[in-house]
Amino acid sequence: MKKFAAYLAAGTLAAALWSTAACASRKDDTLVVAITAPILNVDRLYTTARQELILAQLTDDGLFDVDPDTLRYVPLVAKSYKFVDDTTLDVTLRKGVKFHDGSPLTADDVVYTYRWTSDPKSGTNQGRKIHRWLKSVERLADDKVRFKLNFPYPLVLRDMAISVPLRKRGTYASAEAAKTQNSALNGLGPYRVVGFDPGKKVELERFAGYYKGGPKGSPSIRHIEFRTIPDLQTQQAELMTGGVQFMYGVPLDIARNIGATPAARFVSGSDMRVDFIIMDAKGYTGKDDPFVKLDVRRAMNYAINRKSIVENLVGGSSRVIDAACNPLMFGCIQDVMHYGYDPHKAKALLAKAGYPDGFQFDFWVYREKPVAEAIMSDLAKVGIKARMRVVTSGALAKARRSREVQAYFGSWGSGGTADAAAIASEHFAPKSNRNLSGDAEVDDAVIDAEQTMNDAKRMADYTKAFKRIAELAYWVPLYTTSANYLVARDLSFASPKDGLPRLYLLKWKK
Amino acid sequence: MLRYALRRLVLALAVALTVSVATFWLLRAATDPAAAIAGPDATEEVVAQVRSEYGFDRPIVAQYWEWLRGVLSGDFGHSYFWRTSVGPLILSHAPVTIELALSAILVTILVALPLGIAAALKPNTLVDRAALTIAVAAQAIPNFWLGVMCIVIFAVKLPFFPVSGDKTWFHFVLPAIVLGTSSVPAVMRLTRTGLLEVMASDYIRTARAKGFVSLPLLLRHALRNALLPVVSVLAVQLGHKLGGSFIVESVFAMNGLGRLAMQSVLGADIPTIQMLVFIFSLTFVAMTFLADLLNAWLDPRIRLS
Repeated sequence: MKKFAAYLAAGTLAAALWSTAACASRKDDTLVVAITAPILNVDRLYTTARQELILAQLTDDGLFDVDPDTLRYVPLVAKSYKFVDDTTLDVTLRKGVKFHDGSPLTADDVVYTYRWTSDPKSGTNQGRKIHRWLKSVERLADDKVRFKLNFPYPLVLRDMAISVPLRKRGTYASAEAAKTQNSALNGLGPYRVVGFDPGKKVELERFAGYYKGGPKGSPSIRHIEFRTIPDLQTQQAELMTGGVQFMYGVPLDIARNIGATPAARFVSGSDMRVDFIIMDAKGYTGKDDPFVKLDVRRAMNYAINRKSIVENLVGGSSRVIDAACNPLMFGCIQDVMHYGYDPHKAKALLAKAGYPDGFQFDFWVYREKPVAEAIMSDLAKVGIKARMRVVTSGALAKARRSREVQAYFGSWGSGGTADAAAIASEHFAPKSNRNLSGDAEVDDAVIDAEQTMNDAKRMADYTKAFKRIAELAYWVPLYTTSANYLVARDLSFASPKDGLPRLYLLKWKK
Repeated sequence: MLRYALRRLVLALAVALTVSVATFWLLRAATDPAAAIAGPDATEEVVAQVRSEYGFDRPIVAQYWEWLRGVLSGDFGHSYFWRTSVGPLILSHAPVTIELALSAILVTILVALPLGIAAALKPNTLVDRAALTIAVAAQAIPNFWLGVMCIVIFAVKLPFFPVSGDKTWFHFVLPAIVLGTSSVPAVMRLTRTGLLEVMASDYIRTARAKGFVSLPLLLRHALRNALLPVVSVLAVQLGHKLGGSFIVESVFAMNGLGRLAMQSVLGADIPTIQMLVFIFSLTFVAMTFLADLLNAWLDPRIRLS
């Protein structure tokens, strides 16, 4: 028995030591980031998800970057730029920029990247967007490139900053080369990919050849690893045992609980994402749909206690919004018709619309179920019975395309873009299946604002559009979301305004 | 015996074929594969183009026949979510699930057999009741809860085991305990019942009358017969473990077939889901077939009937 006990104690000690030794930490200068969804491809040109955008901030550089403090677009690989006219942009390249394979960046690489990205045959996820505005791109000198635009496009620097990482000429010359790029990326970013197991992890190492003096600075941490851990509880456990040092997109209750332990601190920041409800005002599901009536849509706005939802469910840096956009965005005025929480008024409007006893509708939900349930509860108090249909975003998209959606709980991150175009054009373009209002006046204003370089005119267009959207209650704008992070206590991290963590800025505390 | 085996084999293949047809039809009824490939922001024109390019606009029978022909010739299709061939994708994830399933079965055996034996040797006593309570509790506790509790206790509070991953055998200990626990009641009850029956049989009574009273000796003779049905149940349970590790793999962030299936479902990756369901059903059918053969081999009455 004594012998058995001795073996057990030795085994236990070895196990404890072993499991502790397996943890990455500042000791080996490795930051482990927990992600919920998998990374299946490290080439940003072929990805769209949030975790892949965060990864691309590390592995890729484009011509421009988004300043995390001001949210303005600043030259990154570009040294300078000049709009020759509304549709001609000249960009001068920074010197000494190298790809991860050591080869220098040239104007030919920039031309190649933009031609490849905008070519519909290349199948890039960003291609359609670039193809719409890019007329041509040509080399003017070894360090100078000229872009010709199809029309004046105010978001050209945004697209160049977020959607087009630069590639070496010939990167996709053969299927084999393209496949290599999917797993062993040759980018320009401050970190290079040294290991990739699709759906499981991505290992990065600080790139020694990264240029000095750029807006991203010189990264401090040597290794960064993205680990896919689908279960949030497991992520927490890893954080508490030192297996993970950084979590983002953490639900408020978890962030508060774990942030109160010695293992991590809770950092809350603003986010570009907004949540809202879109109603079928046009009557695509049927002309007798209740949401066709203005009084019903206004009743929906009055019936939901948004302040309570923000205070009790969303929390953090979340704020109630009145307009169908994020106040951090250019063009997002909040001086629009305000709907305070007023269930009596909601009931009166319903009675006026011919629904004194309320009505039933299908409420499509693909995320934030607890918030949707709170909304349903508020609506029930005025007699509106929402039948929740929880689906995936893909199933919702299918239902929208076939015009089956009466109302849905929407959420839009705008790719971190601080411009109203990023949300308005996707939701009010005439051909968009998200556009359930079909109001030509709104649609025209949104399109006009996206095709002029004149900021005053853009502001006037958006003011007109958002005022009308609120007045006619096409949406129930709910709130801006909160970006919640859990960060190991020995890490220095400041939350960015747009909710997109720049991991190259992280440092170990001294 | 051969005739019996052939009959069961034909039946097993028929089940697998039926499952594949049902899966194929249900997946296409549940979602539009063209819309899934095109993405949530694609226009109707793009979706129609994808539908035509991938041949989703052809009759479903023709699509199924093409898929089946591919499977029979070793081509399991191409995943548009993982952007790779489905065959190698599944093969790369299979070792983790196989290792986990075998470890889980080992846990089941180590827990259920002693409990079953103890309960049978002391029927209707406190020992029996305690064993039954443990078994019922094991069945009632959901995997995800037990997984999280194991992590909290044995990885966070007492850092004996790693929280998640599948790098070494050490990573498999907690997941195997969680996955293996759910099979404990079935095996434990079968062991108890079988042993009680055998202990009451004539040859054991005769052995006892001749003076064989030592417990190990009785167990050796009695257990051999009592465990015959347990062996076949374990084979079926192994099938369950191979195809039912979705939650455990997710909780412990293990890169096995369960997690592959989960991510493929979320990504609406029909070719991978189709093949995984087919493989899971084939595995289950194969394990049941194996159990039938074992039963028939061990008990002559089965093949005669």
